[in-house]
Amino acid sequence: MELIGKVSKGSRMDQIYIPKNRSGFGIGNYVVIKPVEDENEIKTYANKFYFYSVRGIEPIKIKIISEVMQIICNFFNKYENIFIIGSFLDKGFSFNDMDILIITEEKISSDLINKDIERKLGIKTHIILMSNKEFIQGLGTDPLYQMALSKCISKNRFLYNIPHIINYKLLDLHLLKSKTLIDNFDILSGNEKYNLVRNAIAISLYLNSKKISREAVDNEIKKRFGLKDINVLKNNLIVKKSFLKEYKLMYDKLFAKILLGIKNGSK
Amino acid sequence: MAQNRNKLIELFISNISNSIVHEILEKSMIGEIISDKYRRELTASFEIAKRYREKINPSATPFPETDIVYIKSKIINRVMAELNTRISKGYKNIDLDLVEVLTENALINTKIKRRKEGTDF
Repeated sequence: MELIGKVSKGSRMDQIYIPKNRSGFGIGNYVVIKPVEDENEIKTYANKFYFYSVRGIEPIKIKIISEVMQIICNFFNKYENIFIIGSFLDKGFSFNDMDILIITEEKISSDLINKDIERKLGIKTHIILMSNKEFIQGLGTDPLYQMALSKCISKNRFLYNIPHIINYKLLDLHLLKSKTLIDNFDILSGNEKYNLVRNAIAISLYLNSKKISREAVDNEIKKRFGLKDINVLKNNLIVKKSFLKEYKLMYDKLFAKILLGIKNGSK
Repeated sequence: MAQNRNKLIELFISNISNSIVHEILEKSMIGEIISDKYRRELTASFEIAKRYREKINPSATPFPETDIVYIKSKIINRVMAELNTRISKGYKNIDLDLVEVLTENALINTKIKRRKEGTDF
């Protein structure tokens, strides 16, 4: 592990700042500092990542991300950005796979990249490729995108200043997916239930112009359904009767609000 | 999960109807939706319907004609009701002619009904 940094002037001592999220260079470790002689070396090492709401991540994960990014970059001539999102960024190692969003105009099979990463690193990835236009539209109109991107690591700097557009018809379409939970409680796994509830809650927060992040959505789920821990839902340990009663009430209210929005012609 | 055949058929109908409504609404909004890739990962109603279908006998062969007529009419009624609710609230470009075609296709794709020779469904 090597890092590149710039010596900056301090009041009593000069210093070199290194990122908090890094693999290696633990507190208390001794390090060797040497000057960069070749300017090109700076570019080589400049493949740092940008962290958004990721506070503290295991160093081994940074190493994995670095290698995964390297493999992905080899597939593309040009890409706008690469995002690592989802449960991989949560504390611990209870993730199923690594969710990756690649913004590019190039058409490459995501399966091909998934398989290459699994072959080389033994890690399961779930890659979604989309164009910049699709990405911007998704981010502007879809609460689920906003939630996913609220906590991420990206290859390039990502400016989050896309205006929110409330398109009620789109929200209706998105909410329709969560209707599945009402009739199919018994057949759905805990994670499937969680995803459907999360979808509805994110829409609800979006309509109320509230901040959408994974933490905010999870907190709202806990509050609304009286859960101490979100894992009760994820692990399928929820009490059916009381949960469905509350869920149906919430769904119906949300649906009525969306229909009203459509009726009023606002988009 | 022990459930009787009628209950499973009702659940199948509910999910297939939901997936058809979704498909028709999606078609009515061409140009507005280009960014659904992330959401496609949510468990789709059609996939759930297939899970129920596997539990309903006969699971590998088509249903008797009386069942097909019943299921088809219930799906069409449900889908029409959902779509009409939306049309009354101002939705445009909803093609109601698609309801029957998509219902037929769904019944064939879930092995409820056999595809007729020489037809699209």
